[in-house]
Parts: sequence; C-alpha cells; structure tokens
Amino acid sequence: MKLIYRILLRLSLVLLPLMALWAALFYYTMVDEINDEADDALEDYSELIIIRMLAGEPLPRLNEGSNNSYTVTPVDAEYVHARPRIDYYDAEVYIPEKEETEPARVMTTIFCDDDGVYYELRVATPTFEKDDLLRTILWWVVFLYVILLLTVISLTVWVFHRSMRPLYALLQWLDGYRPGSVKAQVPNDTQITEFRRLNEAAQQAVDRSEQLFERQKQFIGNASHELQTPLAVLGGRIEWLLDHTELTEEQMTELAGMRRTLDRIVRLNKTLLLLTRIDNHQFADTVEVDIVALLREQCALYDEIYASRGIRCAMKLPQSFCVQMNESLATVLVANLLKNAYVHSAPGALVEVRLHDRELTVTNDGDTPLDGTRIFTRFYQGARKEGSTGLGLALVKAVADYYGFRVEYAFVEGRHCFTVVWR
Amino acid sequence: MKILIVEDEPSLRELMSRTLKAERYVVETASTYVEAEDKLAVYTYDCILLDIMLPDGDGLRLLEQLKKEGKRESVIIISARDSLEDKVLGLELGADDYLPKPFHLMELSARIRSVARRSRGDGNREFVQGNVRLDPAAYRVFVGEQELSLLRKEFDILAYFMQRPGHLVDKSVLAEAVWGDHVDQADNYHFVYAQMKNLRRKLEEAGATIELKAVYGFGYKLVLTDQNA
Repeated sequence: MKLIYRILLRLSLVLLPLMALWAALFYYTMVDEINDEADDALEDYSELIIIRMLAGEPLPRLNEGSNNSYTVTPVDAEYVHARPRIDYYDAEVYIPEKEETEPARVMTTIFCDDDGVYYELRVATPTFEKDDLLRTILWWVVFLYVILLLTVISLTVWVFHRSMRPLYALLQWLDGYRPGSVKAQVPNDTQITEFRRLNEAAQQAVDRSEQLFERQKQFIGNASHELQTPLAVLGGRIEWLLDHTELTEEQMTELAGMRRTLDRIVRLNKTLLLLTRIDNHQFADTVEVDIVALLREQCALYDEIYASRGIRCAMKLPQSFCVQMNESLATVLVANLLKNAYVHSAPGALVEVRLHDRELTVTNDGDTPLDGTRIFTRFYQGARKEGSTGLGLALVKAVADYYGFRVEYAFVEGRHCFTVVWR
Repeated sequence: MKILIVEDEPSLRELMSRTLKAERYVVETASTYVEAEDKLAVYTYDCILLDIMLPDGDGLRLLEQLKKEGKRESVIIISARDSLEDKVLGLELGADDYLPKPFHLMELSARIRSVARRSRGDGNREFVQGNVRLDPAAYRVFVGEQELSLLRKEFDILAYFMQRPGHLVDKSVLAEAVWGDHVDQADNYHFVYAQMKNLRRKLEEAGATIELKAVYGFGYKLVLTDQNA
C-alpha cells in the first residue's frame, strides 16, 4: 500500500467519528439554546398571566396574535406536593387554528392566590420539530463531511507530494542504483532536515557497500595474483622432477597427475582473474565480431575434442551476425556456452545451436531442470564434473551483464536451453 | 648465452636459474629493482627475464630505462598480471616477449630460444632436428630433401616439439598449446592421440630420424632415433 493511500484512509477514518461527535455536540447545543430562548419567553408570559390573575385584571385572550396558549387549572394540595413548582418540558400541543398537534415547549407553574387556592398555569409555545432539525443537521453533516474530506484529501495529496518529493527522488535513485556503477552520489537537494539525514544515511550505506564491493573485488583479484607465483614455483618443481631426474613409471605418472591437478588450479585462478577483470570493466576496446563465424570455429574445435564421445552438433545459423564487442569477451561468451553444452551431454547426444532474430540458443539433453536462479552463479554445479571449474556459465553471465545482454535458462522438452539475447 | 633473472620470489628465482643452467646458459639473478639496476649498469646480458612487480619498483621502468640507454638486451617480461593491456604496454616499451605467470619452465626455455633466434636475425629460419627441417614461416616440413605434407594440427604439434626437443610434453599441455585455452575440460585426450598417431605414422613412413615417443601414457618426447645421423 502506498503511503499516500494509507494517510488518506486514516484521515477519512478519523474524520468520520470526529464529524459525528461534532454533529451531536452541535445538535445538543442548538436544542439547548433554542429551549433556553423559548423558556425565557414562556417565563415572561406566565409571569404576566400570574400577575394579572393575582391582580384580578383580565387575562389575555387565548392565542392573541401568537401561537402561545395557556390554561389555568386549580389543583389540590396533594398534587402541589407531588410536582415541582416550575417545570419545563416538550410536548405535543393541539393548536385549534391549525387544527393539528404541533411540538411545543411547555412550562407549568404552580402558584397560590390570596385565598390559598393552588393553581397550575400551563403555558405553551410552539417550537421547532426536532426530527426535522435532526434530519437537516444529519444531511448537512454528511455534506460537510464529504466536502471536508475532499478538501482535506486534495490538500493532503498536494502537500504530501510537494513535501515528499525528496523521498521519491531517493527511491528512484535507489531503484536505478547498481553496486559498482559509477554514479554512486545520492541526490541531496533538499532543505528538510529529516530528508537530508535520510539521504546522508543512504549515501553512507551506499558508500559502505561500494567499499565492500570494491574490497571484495580487489581481494579476489589480489588473491588470484598472489597465487600466480607460488603456482609457478610448484609447477616448475614438478616439471624439473619430470624432466631432469630418473623416475619410475609410477612416480612419473603420479607427478603428471599432480601437474594436471595443478593446471586445473591455475585455470581456475585464471578464470577468477578474468571474472574480476570483466567486473572491473577492463575490456574497453570493442570491434565488430561475427558471432556466426565464432560459433562455427568453436563448434569445430569442440567437435574434434569430443569426437570420441560422438557428440553431434546441429547448427541453424544465418550467413553472419555481427555485434560490437570486445573480441576476447565474445570468444569467452560463445566458447563457454558451447563448452557447457558439450561437457554436460551424454555420449552420442545432440547439441543444437540456433541463432535467429538476435537470439542465440544452445540446447543439450538433460534429465531434470536445473535451478534457473542459481545456474549462472559462481561455483554452482548440478552434478560435479571432473575437471569442470564451475565458472563457465558465471563467465557467460558476466560478459552478458557487461554488455547488457540478457541470458536465460529454460528446460524445454527434456533439454536445457541457454539463450543469449542481443537487444 | 648470458641471462639475468630479475625476480623477487626466491623459490621461483632459484628454480628458473637451475633450469636455465641445466640448458647451459650463464645465469645471474637479481631480487630487487636496485640490484637489477646495479647489475645492468656493470654487465651486459643477452637476455633479461624481468618480473615487472618488484618490491621496490616497477619493472617496466627498468625496461624503459634500458631502451632509453639504447641497450641491446632482449627482454622477456614475466608478470602475474595476465591482461592484454599489460602485454601491449610491455611490448610497446620494447620487451621481446610477455610470459604470464604461472608458466611452464619448458615454455620459458622455448621463449628464450625463440627470442635468441630473433635477436640473431634468424627468427624465421628453420628448426632442424635429425633429418627433419621445419620452416615456420612457410608452413613446410622436409624429411631429408623430401617434403612431408601435414595437416594443420599435425604441423602445429610437430612445430611445438621441434622447439622443445628432448623435453617431456604432457598431453594436456600439448592440447592447450595446439588447440587453445578452451580444451581445459576435456575428460580424455583422444583427439590428441588421434593426431599424434597420424603424425608419427607420417614421420616414420618418410624415414625421419626423429621420433615422437610416448612416455608412460601421459606425454610425449621428441627424440632422435639415430644418434649418429
């Protein structure tokens, strides 16, 4: 969920009870105020009637120009004790002129004349209809809620986008960030303290990871370089023994085996150095390379090398396909793709090489699909193969990444398909 | 022929020196930039094996200095850095060859011989062993006066052995030298065997006095069949 949606949802949810509370408060205050006014008027009115009555003056006629009405009823002492002296309440009162009952505010006053007779004066004044008021208020509250919500939302969206711009700038930058790339400067053109700190923190994290990345690359490079001399010494000593001393066949065979193992270490080391150099972008010069010619040449080589295992190669290639690449990297790419297919094929199997629509596909037989996410990582091997470095496909991937080609793996109809896409 | 080995790693220095002495070269060694500079100021050498990563300086600077002084020594750079740029830079500065570590000692001797041939001005001349002559420039092989017709790979193999007479060559080393770096995962060397079989048959049928002798199933050695020939 995007942050802005979360904020808007919460605002809407908070506004809802707030508006309801506000509506209730408004309603009760309003009713209170109106009742207060009505009560004041009723008080004046009843006072007038009582004074007149006590003074023996004529009472005002009923409904004299107003909707006010009154009744005076004598009451007994028991009733007086049971009731408060002055009482206000709401009631439905029949209005003769209108011939209907209307909601009214009623005030009852109990008083006693000089003769000690108690009377109850009931004055009433028509007042508003509470249902109507309630409905109106409800309607307006809903209306207000919607208006307020729209206003708040649009304001929030506007304010949010204006003030969160640095955050989105950072996110966009992070999306485009690749470790080891040249542009490792986090954008920081904001005056807001929090965002400045966030950007600085991001910069620090990026610097740290760049440093680690660099250090790791350097470490692999240095370790491989440092190994070269001892490997040369070791190889040299074995060679000396083979060349200059009298040895039995058994000793010689053992030594030769040792040297082949050593050669494998040397090759592994060289491959690691090659990977490091690709990662370090040390293959700047590009020329026009014909991939088709390279494929034919390498296929012929592997056909010869694996002739004893009877592996056949079927090629479906166009006349030529030229790309701008470093020549040695192109060879690394093609050779390792083909080698992988040949090495992992059973005797007599068919290796298919197709190049069509800027897509190079190399397929070979397989029993089970390989883990497509890990197949291109260093030293990942489905089944350990004698003499295999486990770096061939990592090299393919490194070269592809270097030039921004895509490499894909799929398992189709019992065949491993490796595809390089030049786009 | 007098050779100066400039290499800081004692073990490798000793080994190189021992190997080259066994090949009847006069060998001197230097372990640092300063020592090499001193020796070069006093003596002249035919060939210098120069490690460019020295503890007290860059070997390339030594090379530059040599060339500036107009010295005639052949220089073979030995480096742990195996990149095209380094190689190009080294050769541009006037080195005669560039040998990345780790190398086979046999390879080192072959390079020295080849550099020596070139500096004597007979770089394109034939290699001769027994009654076999091999002309690397024209891609031709003669047994006595008779030309021997060889396939491309057979020629490459023979050329490789002609430059390393008497040395035991492992099949895997031969495969890498002739077929290229990419043979590294071959699980057998049948393809080497197939070519060797043809080449040996052709040599024998032509009456060559050299033989590519199989050694205990893992390698071959070029030997003269008739020491008196």
